[in-house]
Amino acid sequence: MLAYLARRLALAVLTIWAITILSFVIIKLPPGDYITSYIAQMSASGGFVSEAEVQALRREYGLDQPGYVQYLRWMTMVLHGRFGVALEWKRPVSEVIGDRLWLTMVVSVAAIVVTWALAIPIGIYSAVRQYSTGDYVATFVGFIGLAVPSFMLALILLYLGFKYFNASIGGLFSDRYAEAPWTLAKVWDLARHLPLPALILGFAGTAQLVRIMRANLLDELGKPYVVTARARGLSEWRVILKYPVRVALNPFASTIGYLLPYIVSGSIIVSLVLGLPTVGPLLLRALIAQDMFLAGTIVLLLGVLTVVGTFLSDLLLLWIDPRIRLEGKQ
Amino acid sequence: MDRTRRRVTRRELLQDAALAAGGFALVGFAPEVWAQTPKLGAHLIGRLEGPELVRDPAKWPKKFSEAPMLAELVKQGKLPPVEQRVPQEPLILKPVREIGRYGGTLRRGFTGPGDSENGNRWVSADKLLFWDYTGNKVMPSVAQAWLLSEDGKSVTIYLRKGMKWSDGQPFTADDFVFWYQDIYLNKDLVPTPNADFMINGKSGSLRKGNDTTVVFEFPEPNYLFLDILAGSTSMGGGQALWQMEGRTMGAYTPAHYVRQFHPKYIGKDEADRKAKAAGFDGWVAYIKNRWDWRLNPDLPVLTPWKTVTPINNPSWVMERNPYFYEMDTAGNQLPYIDRIVMTLAENLEVLNLRAIAGQYDLQERHTGMAKIPVFLENRDRVGYDLHLDPALNGSDATLHTNQAHDGDPEIAKWLQTADFRRALSMGIDRDQLNETFWLGIGVPGSIAPAETVPYSPGPEWRKKWATLDVGQANSLLDKIGLSKKDAEGYRLRTDGKGRLRLELMTAAGTFIPQTQIGEMIKEQWKKIGILADVKEHERSLFITRVRSNEHQIDMWANDGSEVLFLFPRHALPVDPVEANLGYPIAVWYASAGTQGKAPKDPQLLKALELFRTANGKKAQERHKVAQEIWKILVDQVYSIGTVGQSPATMGVRVVSRKMGNIPERQINAQHCRTPGSSQPSTFYFKG
Repeated sequence: MLAYLARRLALAVLTIWAITILSFVIIKLPPGDYITSYIAQMSASGGFVSEAEVQALRREYGLDQPGYVQYLRWMTMVLHGRFGVALEWKRPVSEVIGDRLWLTMVVSVAAIVVTWALAIPIGIYSAVRQYSTGDYVATFVGFIGLAVPSFMLALILLYLGFKYFNASIGGLFSDRYAEAPWTLAKVWDLARHLPLPALILGFAGTAQLVRIMRANLLDELGKPYVVTARARGLSEWRVILKYPVRVALNPFASTIGYLLPYIVSGSIIVSLVLGLPTVGPLLLRALIAQDMFLAGTIVLLLGVLTVVGTFLSDLLLLWIDPRIRLEGKQ
Repeated sequence: MDRTRRRVTRRELLQDAALAAGGFALVGFAPEVWAQTPKLGAHLIGRLEGPELVRDPAKWPKKFSEAPMLAELVKQGKLPPVEQRVPQEPLILKPVREIGRYGGTLRRGFTGPGDSENGNRWVSADKLLFWDYTGNKVMPSVAQAWLLSEDGKSVTIYLRKGMKWSDGQPFTADDFVFWYQDIYLNKDLVPTPNADFMINGKSGSLRKGNDTTVVFEFPEPNYLFLDILAGSTSMGGGQALWQMEGRTMGAYTPAHYVRQFHPKYIGKDEADRKAKAAGFDGWVAYIKNRWDWRLNPDLPVLTPWKTVTPINNPSWVMERNPYFYEMDTAGNQLPYIDRIVMTLAENLEVLNLRAIAGQYDLQERHTGMAKIPVFLENRDRVGYDLHLDPALNGSDATLHTNQAHDGDPEIAKWLQTADFRRALSMGIDRDQLNETFWLGIGVPGSIAPAETVPYSPGPEWRKKWATLDVGQANSLLDKIGLSKKDAEGYRLRTDGKGRLRLELMTAAGTFIPQTQIGEMIKEQWKKIGILADVKEHERSLFITRVRSNEHQIDMWANDGSEVLFLFPRHALPVDPVEANLGYPIAVWYASAGTQGKAPKDPQLLKALELFRTANGKKAQERHKVAQEIWKILVDQVYSIGTVGQSPATMGVRVVSRKMGNIPERQINAQHCRTPGSSQPSTFYFKG
């Protein structure tokens, strides 16, 4: 077991190192650099940059050096626990991400809670009452949920919210609280803004999970151990929840690896549309501006979280599923 | 991406939505709707007006008063009384309507740390000289008077006695000398001399006359320098604009503050140590950060408002400067408004929706023409007015032909043929474009600026080669040797390599929908047998391709070209940063012929020569030179104008009805730092 863990750990480090190279290369791939994107932004918004400034800025940011030198510079910083200064934000990358990190987590966790709270019961119901009216309704709504792009849903809800309910547009706080220090009133303000993004973000995922849950459970329901459990006279609830549902949850556990990065980056486009101050829009913006320190650090963070998440889900599977545990012992 | 030829997959749609920041427009109306209701916006263009400068000392106020929040501080002894804070001769403004009331927080939207101009323009009263609200007359600003010598070799500016920085320290000629000696002449900070401070390749210099007099001197006549000081240039653009984002210009800086970071005053080791302690690589990076008004709340400034929460936060907050040098005619120190709070909008759609919902008090930036119908629909319910401010430039969607294209010799040959370019221009139905994309309120025509601009060559040049004439276009194309067509009616290349295909490059995420406009022009060109591929690029890639001389024709606005000598880059290939008419030519011009490639076209050469001599000519003569250049550019059609003089760029102004002293129409031009010339310090909340 220990040897297994050690091997996994070594592999994880190697993977993360590969991720740093890959993310750096991907960010460097498009032609141009932060300076061209800066020129473009200025020119499109009524400002301008002179050629002398262009040269000076390139030198100042080290963009005139070859790619591998820039990579080594970045890696040296990362190994020292610093992530550089975000070019556009003019603040340390850790600060820029840190500001948004926990708000992002709040939104994502809320979305996951919504997803699971809806998906698991509906999935179970759909499977147990297969081909009932309720199953058809859930299937229908589910497929619509899968088919509608969530950013579209977000835009429509925003507009309807403004048109009929005079709701404030986007964001996680009212104007009054955006800059205010943390108080109970501000937390309450956040709680009031949270349901809409959580619902929108959760909706598409819900539909998907309902289908997965339904299919898995249907596989299990016909198996002999369920019949045995019924024959032993257990109540219907107990029969279903204690055995087949537990087995059907396996895929949930194995996808936890992807949940961790999701919690951090969420759905980029929906966050963008809803104007959420989360990490997603920050990443998109950094990629467009070709801010390699910021974008690189976020991609690196996501990579690390995926690796850690996969590791965790392996452990979780060991714990949930006795069959895997037994194989591990052999 | 060529949307007409293949279906857009969902993934591409998502990418577009993300990249174009506005590609997923929900609140826009279909173009066809506008076409049916022409001149929808014409009644929204009011009378051009703005605050007047009071020059007659007899009409100046004798008694001064100040904002309640400052009076409170004075009472507590934390601030000297207003008489001691303002200069002996403040700038007196007569507001556009009435004397305002103090107080209030102005709410606006901004799009992030790159959106500096959003604030820069609002605080542009720190310019040495300014333009009045018509955009044609130079007026005092930080400097109360100026003198251009007869020989054009020097400009003297006179500062205001007793003027102070926002921290109460005196603002004097020494702040100019410090900038010149210790910043401009410091090779670490300014490696190469700046073109705005040179004449015919020779550097200018700066010296102190007395405490309130500064003299700019040049080895050769430089009559343009007065305009440069009044314009949005690196010498006259002011401290806020020219010492942000790593810039080192602006002609003056708060010496008493900046000194503490400068190696000359504290030694290089100490300067570097301070920088390292603050997390910067070295003193150069640190000093540039310290004099950036958007980032450093401690920086002394001359602006009406100063930053209290820096731009790299979710809100960019500014508060009044207690030492601001402007007053109204009743002796109230300006500005009226206490604070400006800009909130971050993650994308333009959210920003526009917030404006529509009345979450901003005044927003003229990032609000799009496409949203006008929705703005109108909601204005009474929410309580705001919509003003349209047409710009002065000739064409918002200009097709620039690359005069140095070398990728495809056949294409290069045609792009360098005047009659070919003229035919392309006459094949465009500008009225259709205008009705579809400009709501019928733009002005169709060539690239020449509005006739109110002194440089305008005259009304006939707005029309020259710039009206739809399919017959003449076709006969011009036949005549130059492009008479062979294929079965579908497209003209064939003369080298036998099939159809003549032109690549038309557009940029995503600009104020006007460039790609859609390009697609419509592509349809119109079918009638003259020309096939164009419209290719949309992310803005940064667009710039990169221009700089590597890869484009054939690209589309960009020609904003700023109305002040040709101050901002020529959208009209002439003189600046490598944006050289739509050919990067190698701009490099050739900027390097005085030592690098790059000279243009082959004698007319283009002539235009560039005329431009080169203009700085040394007096105003009247210079106007003639500008007109001459415009005539060449319009006649040769290097750039094809479509529709201009419209509110497309920063001209859709949404103003809460609670606000007063709002001009019906304000000048919308780069050199006027819109809304700078409307003097935002005189805007107020009616309560």
